[in-house]
Formats: sequence, C-alpha cells, structure tokens
Amino acid sequence: MPKPIRYLLYLAVFALLAYNSVYFKKLDEVKAGTAAFDAAGYARDFWDKKLTPGLSKATDLNALTALLKTDKEKAFNEHSHALGIGNIRYFLVKGQGVVTDVNENEVSVELVNAGQTAGNVRLATEYIFGNAVRDASGAIDINAFTNSMDFNNVSAEINKLIREKVVPPFKSKVKKGDRVTFHGAIELNRAHLQVNDIEIIPVNLQIEKP
Amino acid sequence: MPQDIQPIAGEKQTTEGRLPALQGRFPIARFQSLIALFLLCLALSIMSDKFLTFSNLWNVMRQISVNICISVGMTLIVLTAGIDLSVGSVLALCGAITAGLLKNGIEIPSQNLYIGFTVLGAILAGGLTGSALGAFNGWAITRFSVPPFVATLAMLTVARGLTMLWTGGFPISGLGDTFLFIGTGWFLGIPVPVWISIVVVALAVFLTDKTRIGRYIYAIGGNESASRLSGINVSKVKIIVYTLAGALAAVGGIMVTSRLDSAQPNAGISYELDSIAAVVIGGTSLSGGRGSILGTVLGALIIGVLNNGLVLLNVSPFWQQVVKGLVILLAVIIDKSNGKGE
Repeated sequence: MPKPIRYLLYLAVFALLAYNSVYFKKLDEVKAGTAAFDAAGYARDFWDKKLTPGLSKATDLNALTALLKTDKEKAFNEHSHALGIGNIRYFLVKGQGVVTDVNENEVSVELVNAGQTAGNVRLATEYIFGNAVRDASGAIDINAFTNSMDFNNVSAEINKLIREKVVPPFKSKVKKGDRVTFHGAIELNRAHLQVNDIEIIPVNLQIEKP
Repeated sequence: MPQDIQPIAGEKQTTEGRLPALQGRFPIARFQSLIALFLLCLALSIMSDKFLTFSNLWNVMRQISVNICISVGMTLIVLTAGIDLSVGSVLALCGAITAGLLKNGIEIPSQNLYIGFTVLGAILAGGLTGSALGAFNGWAITRFSVPPFVATLAMLTVARGLTMLWTGGFPISGLGDTFLFIGTGWFLGIPVPVWISIVVVALAVFLTDKTRIGRYIYAIGGNESASRLSGINVSKVKIIVYTLAGALAAVGGIMVTSRLDSAQPNAGISYELDSIAAVVIGGTSLSGGRGSILGTVLGALIIGVLNNGLVLLNVSPFWQQVVKGLVILLAVIIDKSNGKGE
C-alpha cells in the first residue's frame, strides 16, 4: 500500500477513535448540573424517616443472645444485615438493664430479662465509629450512591449525630444503678462469635431513675 | 529425540539431550503443569462439594482472567530474560486513570472547558498509560543498562505514588453499566473477562509462534549477545515487549476496575508475584529463551484453582500465602530437575 494512503488510513482511524472518545462542554454548565452530595442532610433524613421509625422493629437483645447460643444460623439469617459477603454482620437491637459502671469511654449495663439478670453489655459513649448503625438498619441501599466515598460519608455523619445528640444528654445524667432502656447497633462475627462482650453503638438511650 | 515429542518454541537448544531420558515413553515433563492442574482439580473436587460447580468454576475463570492478561505480558518479558515487578502498580494506575476520566473527565477552568470521556476514550487513555509506562521501563532498561529488576521496582513505587496522587487515596466508584459490562457481563454464555483473556492469549500465541518479533524474543532470551551480533535490534524488541506488558497490565486494570465498579488506589498489590508464579509454574525459564504462553495459562489456572481451593477449604489467608510460596518453589525445583531451568 502506498505510504500516503497508509498515513491517510491511520489518520482516519485516529480521527474516528478521537471523535468517539471525548466530548467537550462548558465547565460552568457541567458544574451547575452536578451539585455536591450532602451527606449530613442525607444522614439527618435517614435518621428521622428510616432509622427512628425502624427502631420499633429492633430485635430484643436477650432473645437474640439466647437464639445465638441455640441456633446461630437462624439468628444471623433472620436478624442481621450486611452489605457484602463476609462474616461481619450487624444487628439492630433493643433492651433494658441496670448501669453497673460508668467510665470515660463506655457505660456497662447488666441486662435484665423478666426480673432476672441476663449478661452484660457495653454502651459506647466515646468511640462512635464504623458502619454498624448505617448497615444494621438494612434501610440504605448502596446502589443509590454514585460512589463509595459518599456512602461512607453518610456513615460518618450518622456517627456524628450519635456523638452530638444521643450521647451527651445521656452521659451527663447517667449514674451507677440507673435503669436504662436502649436501642442500638451491634457487630458480630459469624465465624468467631463472641456474645459475652457485646458493644452497642447507641441510637436511643433513656434513663429511668430508680 | 523420539518422533512423538515435538519441542515447544525455543526449547530446542537446551532440552534436546535430556527430554527422552527423563520422560521415557510418556513425556511427563512436557505435561507436568497439565497433570498438576488435573490432580489439583481432582483433589479439590473430592475435598469440597462446592468446587466442581458451574458457578464456582466460572468464578475461578473470571478471577484468573486478570492474572492471565498480566502473565502473558510477563511471559514475553521473562522470555527475554527480563522481569517486571511493576505490573501490579501499573494495573492500579491504569484502572484509576480509566475510572477517573470516565467519572470526572478533565476540567480546564481557565478556558471554562470540560473534556468528558466516553467509555471507549477512558479505556484508550488507560491503555495508553500502561503502554507508556511499559515503554518507559523498556527504555530505562535498554538505554541505561539498568537491571530490569531495579528499573521495574522503581516503576512499582512511581506508579503506586501516581495512583495515590490521581485518586487522592480514595476509590473512584459508580462508573456506569456500559463500563461494568467489561468485568461483569456475559457474552455467548461466557463471562466477558474470559473472552478478553482468550483474545489476549490467542494474539500472544500468534505473536510468539508466527511472527518475526516472536522469534527475536526467544533468541534474545537464549543469547542476547549472539542476537545482537545477528543483527537483531535488541533494544527495540525489548522496548516493544515491555510496552506490550504495560498495555496488558492496563487491560488487567480495566477489568479489575470494571468488575468492582471501583478503582481502588491499593489495587493490584502483589499481582506481580502471582503473575511471576504463573509464568514459572507454566514452565518458562527465568533465565529466558524458553517457555510458552499456553504454559503460562496453565500456570495461571493452577494458581487460580489453588487460591480458590484454599478459600473453599477455609484455610487461613496466612497459610494460603505459605502454600502458594511452597508451590512456586516446588515448580522451580521440578523445572530445574528436568533440565529446563538451566
């Protein structure tokens, strides 16, 4: 094939590829069409419209721990949520108990079941991190987000709400011997189940003075 | 040499005297990778009822497709007696470039201009990035006589750093259904990544077995000085080979990114080791000049099946690394004892 024709052919292929590869727009038009994701607003909306109403469906922690000891698979299959595959699963739980200790990072609670003590749990009051609350609800669909950063920011904002709105009023009043009612999220490992040292990320905390 | 034993390309010079004595009536050394794969599959199908299921086997094929692509490039390099430690980082950078351009395009505020990329454009940009980095590796190795190990080790760090800079350390997700089809779609009942690896392997086999540059690759690995004296432009061939390896790392990066719908800044870590393992287990000599693409495919299959089997058998990830390392060592020892690794 003669060189000029060959070069023309190369040019045509290049032009075709380039034409189908890029497009041009005015930057301000693009910016106007893509408002930044408001994770804080989404988290507040989720808290008010999905999480708080959903607390009524939380699993009773005493019943859950009993079921975990007798039929682990059923407990995980019926009461836990998680986004992906893996052994880490999240539960939305509720319960009542008596405060046995208050320290800087957590409040220890002895669970009460029909007047009987039924084990101890820890209510986290300082280190509120992770995705437990977001994922335990099972009410957020990852596919509704365009990227994982936005999705993770929602979790961070939910944790911030807990740190700012749930924990301070509780922490300022709670004392040893108080009777508390709680709703919250817990994380359990299906493969390495540990039910004797459960930490609860609180969503709702109520104190009933004795 | 018996009539029924046909040496594979490049095998002639070093194995002629040994193969018949070692192999007896059946050429075990020639089929050792295939036999190993068969025995591995047999053992796993007995030990796990989930192994020999369609869904699991397709899953294995999907997973090894990426390794096959980068291992094909690695084979070409190893055949020239080189090595490329940067494929994992190049894979991550190319995946990130592709995802970043597809998702965010390029903004030029001073001109109030936004350059958007279609899926084709983003893929081409990713592929060109991989090719350019590979070409740079080849250029550094040939122009400055830097040992391939050192040059590609430097590129490993550079490419990883560039990936972090490009992504800001965050994953880039939400790349659209068209792009996802590359990593998760099916075509004629076969996953698209498997089709891609089939095409890559077919082109590489054609390149090594049917073209002049393929013969040059074997010749350079067999004896670089003799090749140079024979008039082969060794530097040019090496740059081409490293460029191809970079392009194939980019293909792997695009497949990984598409499959996850996310470009992860830490993607591809230790992929170079899986790739080298596939090449070595597949019978390619690390001293160059001998080996085959199909052998590497078998090596990648063995590594993939082994990974899958260890997961199915619930073996701890720490032990998985130990087992994989021992398998690679065993492959090299067997290769040496057969006179192939000389």
